[in-house]
Amino acid sequence: MKRKSTLTTALLALMLVLAACSGGTSSGGSGTSDNTNGNAGDNGDAGSGEQVELRVMWWGDQKRADRTNEVLQLFQEKYPNIKVMGEFAPGSGYFDKLNTQLASGTAPDVFFLGGNVVDYATKDVLLPLDPYVGEQLDLSDMDQAMIDYGTLGGELLHISAGANARGILINKTLFEEAGLPVPEDGWNWDDYARISQEVSEQLDGVYGTYDFTYEGMDIYLKQNGAKLYNLEDGTLGFEEADVLPWFQYWKSTAESGGVVPPELAVSNPPDDTSKSLVITGGVAMNLIPSNQLAAFQNLTEDELTLVQLPRGPKGTGVVFESSQGLSAYAETEHPEEAALLISFFINDPEAAKVLGNDRGVPVTSANRELLGEDADPVDEIVYDYTSRVSDAAKDEPFDVSYNPPGFAEFDKLARTTVQEIGFGRKSVEQAVSDFYSGTTQIFQSNQ
Amino acid sequence: MRTTRRSLAAEQNRTAYLFLLPWLIGFFMLTAGPMLGSLYLSLTEYKLLTPPTWIGLDNYIRIFTDDSTFTGSLWLTFKYVFISVPLRLVFALLVAMALNRGIRALGIYRTVYYVPSLLGGSVAIAIVWRQIFAGDGVVNDFLGWFGITAPSWISHPDYIIYTIITLSVWQFGSAMVIFLAGLKQIPADLYEASQIDGAGKLRQFFRITLPMLSPVIFFNLIMSIINSFQAFTPAFVIGDGRGGPLDATMFYTLYLYLKGFSFFDMGYAAALAWIMLIIIGLFTAIVFATSRYWVFYGDEKGGK
Repeated sequence: MKRKSTLTTALLALMLVLAACSGGTSSGGSGTSDNTNGNAGDNGDAGSGEQVELRVMWWGDQKRADRTNEVLQLFQEKYPNIKVMGEFAPGSGYFDKLNTQLASGTAPDVFFLGGNVVDYATKDVLLPLDPYVGEQLDLSDMDQAMIDYGTLGGELLHISAGANARGILINKTLFEEAGLPVPEDGWNWDDYARISQEVSEQLDGVYGTYDFTYEGMDIYLKQNGAKLYNLEDGTLGFEEADVLPWFQYWKSTAESGGVVPPELAVSNPPDDTSKSLVITGGVAMNLIPSNQLAAFQNLTEDELTLVQLPRGPKGTGVVFESSQGLSAYAETEHPEEAALLISFFINDPEAAKVLGNDRGVPVTSANRELLGEDADPVDEIVYDYTSRVSDAAKDEPFDVSYNPPGFAEFDKLARTTVQEIGFGRKSVEQAVSDFYSGTTQIFQSNQ
Repeated sequence: MRTTRRSLAAEQNRTAYLFLLPWLIGFFMLTAGPMLGSLYLSLTEYKLLTPPTWIGLDNYIRIFTDDSTFTGSLWLTFKYVFISVPLRLVFALLVAMALNRGIRALGIYRTVYYVPSLLGGSVAIAIVWRQIFAGDGVVNDFLGWFGITAPSWISHPDYIIYTIITLSVWQFGSAMVIFLAGLKQIPADLYEASQIDGAGKLRQFFRITLPMLSPVIFFNLIMSIINSFQAFTPAFVIGDGRGGPLDATMFYTLYLYLKGFSFFDMGYAAALAWIMLIIIGLFTAIVFATSRYWVFYGDEKGGK
């Protein structure tokens, strides 16, 4: 008897756990299958003064959350009939959370997406915003390039909430300590490798650069006339031979000692502002999106600045692009209010003042001017940098990068590949060959 | 006479089922239903945000023929289970025996050692563990006193698994409490009698303690195996949440989670879940099948 009950208990415990893992899926099936386009014609109650509740979700740190909540407060003051609930999650868990909510039909009415917007656009979970343009959604002052960016498959699905340009962050203080000249625009990749090595040699416990094989891959491809993903024809934009030299470049730079070793990069990830070696003065250069300069500068005494990327055959490969933006849920009950909120987020001057450049430079020229009026020194550096990028793009234009479909899986594969080389598990040739076949496979299964 | 007895039995049955009803509802609604649902999904291509389409056994075929992450995560999970379960049980038994010597303030010790089990699965403890074993963490500071320069235990793919195993062993408390209760059940006269016959401590342990404790060991073993196969939180938090560095924290459950919720492949994830169910079921069955050779119940006739 005792044995039997032990068995039952054990099996039940097991079943429960497994069931918990799959519970979300079975309910999700019914949630997503029926109505994905039922909202366009359903505009009855806007402005009627009826009490409406909206949910908004974004990712980021506490500081961003405080700012965003303040903006939501301003919105509610302006539209007292709309109550807005804000939710946020750290970047690492945000998309898992969003995916789960989308699958179970409980996604927020408005949520933020990044370069992975393609993944969501192809799955019909985003509300086409075209019917609301000129009504609730005011895009009259928004840059056309940004509107084009959010127009996918002929529908406006995504409204950029900030623009940035990636650049090389330079710790000027470390360069002075090392007695090296601060790099300037117009350098090339050989310079970059050499300078990284020099910094590592001159300063004890300081490395020249983080390894950004993965983060800079699309830029490198563009510098050489290829790209990660071809949005128009929905194809992969590069061959194995296109990326191999890039991986080899980083391998040899790492061997010369100029690169943060993989172990240290794991414990102090470059994209985590609280742990990055940029903060502790452990690394002199890295690739960052321009809107993050302020976050880093706030946490270190050292003087930081931005320099354009080292040049390849076709130029720097960098353009001014959307850093992230807002989309509405296709099945929201209040599409008009959602459009209203998005519009408020990008146009309202008070909101712009609160948000600052946290998500990138504002996408409307009026708000850019507004923030330009009382810019602090860090903002000045960012503005100066982005205008240099815009100028360069006039002579050497590049396409905006979209992340390929299946981005989360691609991201994991690319990071693992870099580590396989870094920890010496695979030769560069082998790793890149596996990477390319893996990428093709991911891409096909997410078409 | 007979009819009244039968109606009485029926009445009792009805009452019994009435009391069982909450459990039955829970079982069918929350366990059996979703399980059948996931079985169905495992036979479909289900991209999480689009309706599932039937593909038969394709998911299973892909898992077994064309997925190196699956084999990698399976081996990692086996390694974790086979190292952490015996270590934890041995550790729990040793501490239980130390506490069973009638020491004072037993309640306090029991609580102190049990606390990690309450906290162990939590995210907070995993984060603390991260700090302790980081490159500049407490452990390496301590080793530094002896002139040892140790690697960063949580960022090198070769070592991180052992950090996670240590965390698991540290949660020996619940097994220990059960062992302690088991030890208290062993009649003291057995020890007295054997002592008079001249048995030493070691002999007493192997001839009295272990056999008398075998049902408890059996229970602890099964529960530990089941729990360890399903370990998720430590790998998720101590690693980078994506199985890194280098898939060294890609536990089976984590891979399943990533496939389902991050990589939009819920059908595949459901298939992975069913494979895990079968694996755990198999191991449980093996332990049960062998139990009649090593588990000794005091109330059995004759014994082996």
